Amino acid sequence: MRAGSTIAKVGRRSASRASRLYLFVLPATLLFVVFIAYPILWVAGQSLYVGTSAGAVFAGLANYRTVLGDPTFWTVVRNMFLWGVITIPVQMLIGGLLAYFIERHTHALRGFFRTMFFLPVVTSVSVISLVWVQIYAPYYGIAQEYLKRVGIVMATSPIGDPETAIYALIIVNIWQWTGFSMLMYIAGIANLPSEVLDAARIDGAKGWRLAVHVIVPMLAPATKSLLLLGVIGTLQTFPIVHLMTGGGPNRASEVFGTFIFKQSFVLGDTGSGAALSVIVLVIALTLSLIQIAALGARLTPAARQHP
Amino acid sequence: MRKMLFLATTILAAALSASANAEQKEVTVWSWFVQSTMNKSIAAFEKAHPDVKVKYTYYNYSPEYITALKAAAASGSLPDVIGLQPGSLTQQYRENLEAVNERAAKQWGDKWAEKIFPVNRKQMLMGNPKGDENYYIIPQESQVLCIWYNRKVFEKLNLSAPKTYDELKAAAKALTDNGYIPMFQGAADGWQNENVFLMLANQFSPGIVDKAQAGETPWTAPELVEAMKAWKGLFDDGIFQQGALGAHAYPTGAQLFAQGRVGMMALGSWWMQESKFPPPLSEFVQNMDGFDFFYLPPVKDGNPASPPVGGIDIGYGLTKNGGKNPEAWTFLAELTNGVGLQEALNDLNDLPAFEGYSPKGDITDHVKEMSARFMADLPKAENQRFASPAVAEALDNALAGVAAGSIEPEAALATVQAATEKALAAK
Repeated sequence: MRAGSTIAKVGRRSASRASRLYLFVLPATLLFVVFIAYPILWVAGQSLYVGTSAGAVFAGLANYRTVLGDPTFWTVVRNMFLWGVITIPVQMLIGGLLAYFIERHTHALRGFFRTMFFLPVVTSVSVISLVWVQIYAPYYGIAQEYLKRVGIVMATSPIGDPETAIYALIIVNIWQWTGFSMLMYIAGIANLPSEVLDAARIDGAKGWRLAVHVIVPMLAPATKSLLLLGVIGTLQTFPIVHLMTGGGPNRASEVFGTFIFKQSFVLGDTGSGAALSVIVLVIALTLSLIQIAALGARLTPAARQHP
Repeated sequence: MRKMLFLATTILAAALSASANAEQKEVTVWSWFVQSTMNKSIAAFEKAHPDVKVKYTYYNYSPEYITALKAAAASGSLPDVIGLQPGSLTQQYRENLEAVNERAAKQWGDKWAEKIFPVNRKQMLMGNPKGDENYYIIPQESQVLCIWYNRKVFEKLNLSAPKTYDELKAAAKALTDNGYIPMFQGAADGWQNENVFLMLANQFSPGIVDKAQAGETPWTAPELVEAMKAWKGLFDDGIFQQGALGAHAYPTGAQLFAQGRVGMMALGSWWMQESKFPPPLSEFVQNMDGFDFFYLPPVKDGNPASPPVGGIDIGYGLTKNGGKNPEAWTFLAELTNGVGLQEALNDLNDLPAFEGYSPKGDITDHVKEMSARFMADLPKAENQRFASPAVAEALDNALAGVAAGSIEPEAALATVQAATEKALAAK
């Protein structure tokens, strides 16, 4: 009897403790519901309606059919694909090389180089866009001033040609975000266990061999994080394109961000804007899940060390 | 006793504070209108209405202003008065706006609308559902589009304002040969492309764009195809600068033009305000000494020069929230047709939308003369605005595609026709 009573008491205490513990997750849950879950559901709901807010009519999947049948959507998909497959590896490569050389071969000026290469990441996109539009401008542009000295005259602006606009924007994006990749790799290199590096050196690994066969594999968590962030960042691209080309000429450099913005805010077609947003959400979710499944969820050096 | 005294003092202070707050009424306004000029208009209004305080929030037009409006409209938290453009922007918020007909008639008399220039009056109703004759926007300022040129640079190169296309080409060549940018076109911006195309199209057939957007004439009509070919010609003939498709009119083009590095630029009457910006100003901008304007010369034998094209530069709407605040209309009325407007004109912001105003204050004869020319042309101006944003967007894409050589004029205009048919069917 006494034993049963004790078990019941312990059970009640445990249940009460569990309910108290749930209270601790309440603030985060509330924030998630109000600022993330509710807006997503609201947008998903909007994607099923056509017309203005006052006269919206339920249209089922009509907005999705319209969006998928729009040639601009497929231009956007192509651009996003190019954006991802070019920017992510190039940023990783240049960022990794910068990190390696700064950490291994600079001493007194290490802080200076780190700051200089990271500067574009913290510079306003508006300023970056203005400067790069000027750099690309033929005839009176900054690049033209230097090219003139070697006899090269630019006939058009790379952002004004439908064939080259997306690549010109990708270059700007790489220039801006390589510093971020560098920083991630610097953190990774700083966390490398010195005993492993020493052991590799004793075994005769040095220079290129040390970098490729020892350091690069050990930086895999940083690489995975950059890959995941790169894919999400690609899908979120907006300000550079909006400010430099507005998605033009003739929609040649349109990306999901500018396409959604135009549909929703310029054309006032909230339904198709919402449908596009849901499509982007599904793509982002799918790609993230694939990456986590393929590469594992252990993305940071800290997570690697403390599984 | 001391407690009682303290309580009584607190209640009295609270009552006085509440009374002071009740006396000070507030009007909230959002717009993309130049903040320094708006502050002058607000100061003049508050002087005339000392019991009203105006709280102005400035936004960049895109993306900040249009996203802020959208979010506020969805949550029912629009301010009392919002800046509007006629046509698509006004129509997007029509359900959130009060019709102002009765208030305007009470304020300015039954024939108030006749005091507004015809092109503006037409634009005020653009995009309204059939049979809806209500006004949801009161225009504050008008504009007339034109080609500005740097008369000092022209004089230095022995050029005069071109009257034929050959003269225009010759001027562009002379400017280029002498290291100047011939005609700066920010062709990465749809609005400047639309403006030039409207100048061209109205040269081939006045009012044809209006007919096309109303579905009365196809966009593939020969005159519009000719206008599209002429548009391409401006790029191919070296009249626009190289790489124009990647350039922006603001801030790049405007800065280069103000610095005297550009010969010509398709802008509008608002350019005069450059001379009122804070110093230092270039010798060209100072009192507009370096600038004068002309209309685009005939691009084809037998055409006239482009007629004036223009209409509402900016207007304001009274939101449903503002409809509950009597002072909101008082402010809107003064801003569009009263002391607020006069201040904006004195700042040379643009031309009035209502008749009977002219800029006052420290303005040179040259500026007065140009302002008078614009005012004389305004009553006969062709419409520059689009009722449907989808049609404007399709035209922007068509113009960029043709300029880039990635689509032929006829095919490009067919896409605009398709967008127009879709927009008209949805209406």
